[in-house]
Amino acid sequence: MKMPDIDLKELKKQKEENFRQRLEFIDKYVEWLKKTPNKKWSKQQKELID
Amino acid sequence: MIKKMELEYSKNEILIKNKNLSSLDKFAIDFTSILNRYAKYVIVSGYVAILFGRNRTSEDIDIIVEKISFNKFNSFWVESSKHFECINANTVKTAYQEYLSSGVAIRFSKKNSFIPNIEFKFPKVELDSWTLKNRKKVKINNHQLFISPLELQISYKLFLGSEKDIEDARHTYRLFQDKIDIDLLDEFNKKLKTDELFNRYLK
Repeated sequence: MKMPDIDLKELKKQKEENFRQRLEFIDKYVEWLKKTPNKKWSKQQKELID
Repeated sequence: MIKKMELEYSKNEILIKNKNLSSLDKFAIDFTSILNRYAKYVIVSGYVAILFGRNRTSEDIDIIVEKISFNKFNSFWVESSKHFECINANTVKTAYQEYLSSGVAIRFSKKNSFIPNIEFKFPKVELDSWTLKNRKKVKINNHQLFISPLELQISYKLFLGSEKDIEDARHTYRLFQDKIDIDLLDEFNKKLKTDELFNRYLK
């Protein structure tokens, strides 16, 4: 199996960028939570966790 | 009767028999059943460990999808829209041009839900393309999906480096240490500079 070229600097940059995108998504999710009835969001959360 | 997870590992595929599917498994299977028909993809990161029994959940599943044409993506979008919706881009054009083609992931959830969701992105670095090329088939009950080679999965999780990531890496390594290609894992550990973490936490 041929190994890929790995540029650690590029990977670290990608890791930071992915993290930034996830943080943005958390903001979006919180905005949605604020305007969604507790019954609705908690049902989704329960289904995921149980 | 309590069903137990049984694994059969071969070079080309992993078979999981009799798994009681979690809601996250069902979500992954529902989405990839559609995606299987439109593009080559690979599931990476946390869900891989969860699929193989790691005792935690996740609100998202990360998928790298080969770069497909707009027309093909549009067909996928139309088909997936029957059950899923994109929660961070409103139109197919925005999703393709402003997000995916610019290196930004889009997210799909079941209609009227926010979690769990699929983080859907095109390959950005050579490692992403390698993962796609060398993806491994997993057959679970009567479904098939594709995951990252476990050697890379373990090493990359160490590279990410949070406690959760190291625990995922350890879980996957412990489960498959007699099956995986140890030389390949060593190579990745060298290239990603994760040898020390590997020796400290996984050996």
